[in-house]
Parts: sequence; structure tokens; C-alpha cells
Amino acid sequence: MTSTERVRSTTTFASGGGQNGRPRRGLRLTAPGLPWILPALILSVGLIYYCIGYTGFLSTLNWDGASPERESVGLRNYSSIAVDPVFWKAITHTVVFFIVTFAVQTILGLVFATLMHSKIKLGVIYKVIVFVPVVLAPAIMAPVFRQLFAANGQFNWVLEHLGLGALAQPWIGQESTALPVIMVITIWQWTGLTFVLYYAAMSQIDQSLIEAARIDGAGNLRVLASIIWPGVRGTTVALGILGAIGALKTFDVPWLVTIAGPNNATQFLGTYIYQMTIQRAHVGYGAALSIILLVVALVMAIVLQAAARERKEVR
Amino acid sequence: MHLPFRSKKVLRSLATVAVVGMAALGLAACSNGDSQAKAGSATSGTVNWWGWTPTNSDEAKEFIAAFNKKYPKITVKFKLIGISDYQATMRPALASNGGPDVFDLQPGAYVQQFGSYAEDLAPTAKDALGADWKSKISKIAVNGLTAKGKLAALPIGSSYAGSLWVNNDLFSKYNLKPPTTLDEWKQVCKTFQQNNVGCFAQGAAQEGFDQDTLQAISNSVEPGYWTKASKGEKKWDDPVIVKTLSIWKELFTSGIMQEGALGAQQYPDINNAFLTGKYAMVMMGSWYTQYATQDAMTQAIGAAGVSGAKPFPILPIQFPDVANKGNTSEMFGDADYGLAVASKSKNRAAAETFVKWMATSKAGQQVVADRLDTTATLNGISPDFNKIKFVDPALQSGPVNDYLKKTASIDEPRFALLNADIENAFLAAAQSVAGGSATPEKAAQTLQQAAEAAKAANG
Amino acid sequence: MLFEVRSRWSKVALQIIATLLVLPFLFPLIVMVQGSFAGAGWGNYADVLGVPGFFRFFLNSAIIAAGVIVLVYAVTMLAAYGFSKLHIRFREVYFWMLLACLTLPEVVLLTPLFTTTQAVGLFDTYWAVILPLAALQVPFAVLLTRNFINGLPDEMFEAARVDGANSFRGFVYLVLPLTRPIAAAVLIFTLIGAWNAYLMPLVFLQSQDMQTITLVPQFFIGEFSNDQTKILASAVLTAIPEVVAYLCLQRLFERGLSAGAIK
Repeated sequence: MTSTERVRSTTTFASGGGQNGRPRRGLRLTAPGLPWILPALILSVGLIYYCIGYTGFLSTLNWDGASPERESVGLRNYSSIAVDPVFWKAITHTVVFFIVTFAVQTILGLVFATLMHSKIKLGVIYKVIVFVPVVLAPAIMAPVFRQLFAANGQFNWVLEHLGLGALAQPWIGQESTALPVIMVITIWQWTGLTFVLYYAAMSQIDQSLIEAARIDGAGNLRVLASIIWPGVRGTTVALGILGAIGALKTFDVPWLVTIAGPNNATQFLGTYIYQMTIQRAHVGYGAALSIILLVVALVMAIVLQAAARERKEVR
Repeated sequence: MHLPFRSKKVLRSLATVAVVGMAALGLAACSNGDSQAKAGSATSGTVNWWGWTPTNSDEAKEFIAAFNKKYPKITVKFKLIGISDYQATMRPALASNGGPDVFDLQPGAYVQQFGSYAEDLAPTAKDALGADWKSKISKIAVNGLTAKGKLAALPIGSSYAGSLWVNNDLFSKYNLKPPTTLDEWKQVCKTFQQNNVGCFAQGAAQEGFDQDTLQAISNSVEPGYWTKASKGEKKWDDPVIVKTLSIWKELFTSGIMQEGALGAQQYPDINNAFLTGKYAMVMMGSWYTQYATQDAMTQAIGAAGVSGAKPFPILPIQFPDVANKGNTSEMFGDADYGLAVASKSKNRAAAETFVKWMATSKAGQQVVADRLDTTATLNGISPDFNKIKFVDPALQSGPVNDYLKKTASIDEPRFALLNADIENAFLAAAQSVAGGSATPEKAAQTLQQAAEAAKAANG
Repeated sequence: MLFEVRSRWSKVALQIIATLLVLPFLFPLIVMVQGSFAGAGWGNYADVLGVPGFFRFFLNSAIIAAGVIVLVYAVTMLAAYGFSKLHIRFREVYFWMLLACLTLPEVVLLTPLFTTTQAVGLFDTYWAVILPLAALQVPFAVLLTRNFINGLPDEMFEAARVDGANSFRGFVYLVLPLTRPIAAAVLIFTLIGAWNAYLMPLVFLQSQDMQTITLVPQFFIGEFSNDQTKILASAVLTAIPEVVAYLCLQRLFERGLSAGAIK
């Protein structure tokens, strides 16, 4: 590793760097980047990969995590998972959960960020209100939400006062409505994250583009769709990746509010792993589930990134 | 960026070495630590005690202070770990060399999962109480904490379930008597509902409390069947269990169980609702005796968010004869918790002294009994009611004393015979029947299959 | 300004829309604060502050959070710049390796991390919590920061290079100032992650005087009791530093906008 850098002379510059990080042809900072990323790799990979390896090893065992007797069963845990109805239920819930929460959070976050970048009175208060849920520990809010959505809770009270009393029901006490409640709580908690990131990303958008569009007569919604939305693309993709991983890992809200119930109605991969590993002491099975989670998460991340790149080139 | 290395390759291999090195260290640490650690002195040292109970740090302080009167040189440090985090925390802690010296164990799943880290305390018990120590401690408590021939923990206090507690003020207000049959129960609930008062509430989202109700119902259908099935001597898809599940379902369909019960948790939701007078009945056990007292109830009502509320008298009642067969639904229970000594502990002798004092000494057990949240496991110790103030002594002292005396003769376990897998199956059966997604017959069949799988998986 | 409002009516409409959208977020917060005042009112807050060692716990949380933030910021900026603008063979592979660290649930990490910390002798020190928390935050931060730096045009770095500044100088004088908006976001979320960490401090910090503020609610939860009022009060108190940090930092987002950044 030397300190000399080779600067390739270029012919043309692209306008701005490519959104995917790969600059247009010609311009390339060819300084060696490996030493820069090494601290991150050593810290994260060094610490966590031992855990990944350990989990992978555990997934081939039938073990309760404590007793000196361990039974090596090869890939039997994985084949059991493939026919486990609770596992597939969890996957279904995860997929539905991801799609709904990501869509709603993105829309809400984007709209809020745009609103807050415009002239709104008392903007600070709005920003704080949307942000505070991100900060609150789910363990503490869980009983509050159980109370809110109980049959005699505040949500039903509001419905009745809005004249929608016919809709009042025990929201978390029945299988059909438990999952939507979990989604609502998650959206409440994480929209603040989407909002903050979009707000930061919008600060990068070139004002002159917007002014030019206005001069051409574009209305607010058109500006939103053609300039702002593409302009925050990178953030959207990043949020998509984080959202996918988060949905797969999601544990706090479904466990603390409904204990993955009633009757597995709010079972997720994250809660199932906890149940199997910690509660029921089937450490090997839980480890196999974790490895599956890891693989699915990585695949999703790669797919999302690739899809984003493709669309950009097609445009 | 200038680095002292000449080539990328060296850097990469260094990184690999770092990772492998950490892994190797980790694996090395995995192997068993020094299990022949010195036992330390028996009358001095520091003992680290981790547990989900005593129920709060104040109670632990009280126990430790009483202990220090006899053994001033042993410092006991208590770390409270919430019961919902207990398994997740103890798993790595006990596997390593940095774990506690003394830790709590509960019969059933915990003993199975963590018992291997505890040393056999039978010699300690014999040392304290003599060769016939088994006859001096509650038998069911000892059995529950024994696994694979080893007494993994000495029982400190027991708790029994299968009873109901009622808000006496609400019952007298509407001139009602506590129900003794299912029909009476339905009637009582109807009257309460007409007056906009909740009748009965349960945290049906949680396995433990659903299991209690199912066991109580089953004891009304056929006494002792539940225990036999738990031992594997009888089947879970028998008509007895099907009837149990049908009655369970009837609790929901007849309006006895509160609306949305499947989404509620016993603590804090139901407990707060009962203590603030929103419901007239709850299914709680002997541990609820603590709320029969003036101080505890006043504090609990404040904790439930009501300021300046007056405490009301609560009374224990027998579980109603819901099967209409004239059987008495007997209570069941085992040790609420016991104290285990970690075999890896470097202060084993001091730890044993502490555990011995808590479990087998009259002074220790009296302090435990007087808290009223568990009953003493040492025979012959009962709470000192001269020191305890009931909310309404004339009304409560008779029934509560009888209630506690009865617990001495209980012989059916609560958690001891079970493992986490079958408990999960109980919850599935209860919730699927209550939610309507399975008939009692189907649920019983599923339960039997799950029980067989659980037996195969847990040996 | 992104939404242009010409007429007075539109201004009002915009304000109403914003208010309606924010109300569902406000509602549970109100319930929570109400709950924290129920029963003993301000007495709940007094009880929480009176928990033995409360300020010690606060200090511990602050130390751990500071350590995590510094570590994550330094490592993330270096790595994001490297991933974004510099030449690395197999760059995406390294990136996926980093991202994979995000995917394991916390409970699965506990046991192997525990043995590692023990083996390295860090058990019961602040590092036992700072290092794993930082390791878990870095992939998230790198993902976001890399994305932000991608949006910075290459010409700038090119220009600096031609002027004779070497890569590291360019980094310090160009990248760091320009990434203030995203650095602020990363800082906030890292702070939240570290401040709210519960399970790791519980397991990795043995001694009572090293516990963090997230442990305070446990003082009010027993086997047979659960004092919601004081738990909610402690939640409010725990949240205040994070909200204050957000208020201070969110101005940095705006500064990025009005400065016309790139120009």
C-alpha cells in the first residue's frame, strides 16, 4: 500500500456522481480504498462473524445450550424447518408486514419531510412529535398499546366518538386484527426514522432544479414526483434494505405486545427464533432459523440494490 | 493513506488472523472453566445472587439484612433480572466463568435448562436439617427442584394456584355470593354486566395463567387427571381434556371471560384492572395473599395509577365446580423458586451458607413467610399475623388463614412436570379453542401430538 | 422551500394536513405521559430519580453512548468514503459482508459475544458493551453515509486532488464538512441505539455501579407487581436527552439546505 495515487486523466465528467457510486466512464479516483474500510471490517466483521460462525455450527446440533450432551444432526434442523407450519406463517407475516410498513412509512416520511421543508408554522413541534416514538423503548410502550387497543381502550373510545362505534372491537384479542395492530405500532415507531433521513437527503437536492421546474409551470405534486422522489432515491433504497432486514429481525413489538399471538397470528421470524432459542431451549433449531434469516436478508438486500441500479440505467 | 505494509496481501492476511484469533479465543473460552475452583470460606466473602425474585429489590434487601444479622461477614449482592429476560440473560452468564454464585430456579423448564450448572444441594440440606431433612421441607417443593437425581436448588417459597380471588366490596354491593358452579358464575357475571362492572378478567395472552385455569377446570372434571397426563400416564386427547377445553370455551362464549382476553396480560393489565375495582374476580393463587394487607394493596393501587384510592378487602374462593360433577377442584402448586449454587462459583462455601440460611433456618423462612407472596417451604413456619395488617381483619383473617393452611396438604404440581414445549402446546390449545379456530376435539388431538413430540425432544 | 404556497388558503390547508398527519403520532404519547403522572403524579418522577444510583446509571449510559458515537463516527466516515469514492477490488463483496452483521437477532449474539468478551478480558468493563454496540451500528451508518457521499459529485475530489492535496487531506477538509447532514442523522440514531441498549448492558455489565439507565424500570417490575406509573416516568426521563440531542442536531439538516451545499 503506497501513498501515491494514480489519477487517470479523464475526458468527460458526468454531472454529479452516479447514484450507485460507480461514476460514469472515465473519472475514477483510483486511490486504494482498502485501508479506509478496514477499521469498519475489523470492528464489525471481526466481532460479529465469530457469532455467525458459531451460530452456523450450532445449527447442525440438537442441543439445549447447557447440557454437556450435544447431538450432531447435520442438516436435519433445516429440513424440519421446511415443513414447519409456524415457520411459513412467520414468513408470510414478515412479507406482508414489510410491504405494508415500508410503503406507509415511505409515503408518510416523504410527505412529512417535504412539508417540513416548506413554510409551516411551529415546524419544530411537528418534527419532535414524529421523532419521539423512535426514541421510546418498545418494552415500555407495549403495555400502553395493549391498553390503547383493548376492547375498552382509548382507540375504541375515539372510534365511538367519531361515530365509527360499529368498528370497535378487541383489536389485539383476535387473530384477524392482531397483525394490523402490530403494523400500526411499528409505523408509529419508525416513521420518524424515515422522516429524518428523507429530510437530510432533501437538503442535497439542487434548488435550481426545483426553481427551473416551477418556471416551467410545474405544480407541487409534479415537483414531488419528478424531482424530489428521484432525488432521494438512494435513501429510499437504503431504507428498503434496512426495512427488509428489520422486518425479518422484528422482535420487540410483536413479542412484547401480543407474545406472537393470539395463536401465532403475530409470529415473525425474529419472535420464532427467540421462542425456540431462549424459551424452549432448542438452540440448534433457533440457530438454523437465524442462518436462514441471514441468507434471506442478504439476498433481499442484493436484489433491492440490483433492482435500483437496473431501473436507473433503463431510465 | 500511508501504511507500514507493503502489500494488500499482508493486510488481508492480518485481518484474517485477527478474526480467526478472536474465534479461537472464543472457542477456547467455551471449553469448561476450572470446575474444581476453591470453595472459599464459609463465613466470609462476597456472594453474587441473580434472580427474578424476590419480587423487588426492597424485599431482597430485607432478606439480606436479616441474613447479615447472623453472618455479618458475608456480603450478598442481589441483581434483579426481570423474569421475561431471565432465560436470555442466564444462558450466556452460566455458560461462562463470569456468572453468579447463587441463582434462582423454578420447577420445570428452568431446572431442565439450567440445572446442569448447579451443584447438588442435598448434602447441604442434610447438613442443616439432619438425615431426615426430606420430611422437614415441603415434599412437593423438593420434588419440583430435583432433576436427574440431583437437588438443583433448595426451595425458598412455594406458590399455589387454582383459586380465585374476589373483590368483596363489589360482591356485597350487589348482594351477590361468590359462585360455586358454572351456572352461578354466569348469573353473577350477568348481574355485574348489567351494572357496568367487569366480572372476571384473565391475561389470556400468557401461557402460565391459561394453564392454571385449564388445570383447575380439569380438576373439576376429573381430579388428578391433569397431573397424570403431565406424567405421560394418560393421554391429552381423552374426553376429560376435551370436556376441559369445552368448558374453557364456554367461559368465553358465555361472557364470563372479559372481551379481548386473548390480548391481555396478567401483569400489569389485569392486575391493575382488578386492583382499581374494574373487575370483581381474578384467577390468582396464594401469592396474591400479599394484596390482602393494607400496605401492599394501597401501594399497588397507587402503582395502578389511581391516586388516593382506598384499599378494599379481597378474599380467596374455591374454584367453582364448573363440570357439575360435585368434585372439588383442588389447588396445585410447587416451589415458586429455589436458590441454586453455581458449581463454577469461586465462593461456593459462602454461597451455601446463604442458601442454607434462606431455605432451612427458622429465621430465614420466617422472613420469607411474612412477606406473604410465597408460603414457607420449611414445615411449621407460617406468617406472623400479629405483624401483618389486613385491610379488614374481621372479614379476611379467617378465610385467608384457612386458605394458607390448606396449602400444606397440596400434592399436585404446577410446573414441575412440564417443559417449555408442552407449555407452548397448552397455549396453542387454549388460544385456538378460545379464538374459535379449533374445536375442543381437534385441539385436544393437536395437544396430544405436541406432547408426544415434546417428550421425544426433551427426553 | 419545497412546497410552494401562494395563497393564504393553501398555507392553511398545508398546516391542516400536517396537523392531521401528526395527530396519530401524538395520541399514544399523550396516553404515555398521562400514565406517568397517574397515581402519585410528580411523586413518580421523584421516585425514579430517587432510585439508588440513578445518576450513576445516567453517567454510565452517557459514557457508553459517547464511546459508541465516537467509534462509529470515525469508522463510518472512513469506510463510507472508501466504499463510495475509492477503488477497492471486490468492493461490493466487502459491503455485503458488512451488511450481514446487521442481520442476526440480538439474542443469538449474546452467547458467543459473552464468551468472546470474557476471553479477551473485557467482561464487566464499558468496552464489553461499547464494542458490540458499535459493531452493530456501523453497517447501518455506512449504508446511509455511503449513499450520501455517492451524491457528492466527483469533480470536487478531482479538483482537490489536482491541487495537490492527498487523499486524507481531501477527506478531512472536504468530506467531513460536506457530510454534516448525514453525520447528524447517524449521530442521532447511534445515540438512540446506544442509549436504549438494554439486553447487552444487562448481560455484559456485572457490577451494580456499571448499570445503565435502561435498567431503571426493572426496579419497578417484580414477579407479582408492575408499577406502570413509575416505569412510564422513567421512560420519559430516559427519552429527554435523546430528544434534546435531536433538537440540537436537526438544525444541521437545515443548514445543509440553505447553504446550497455543493456550490
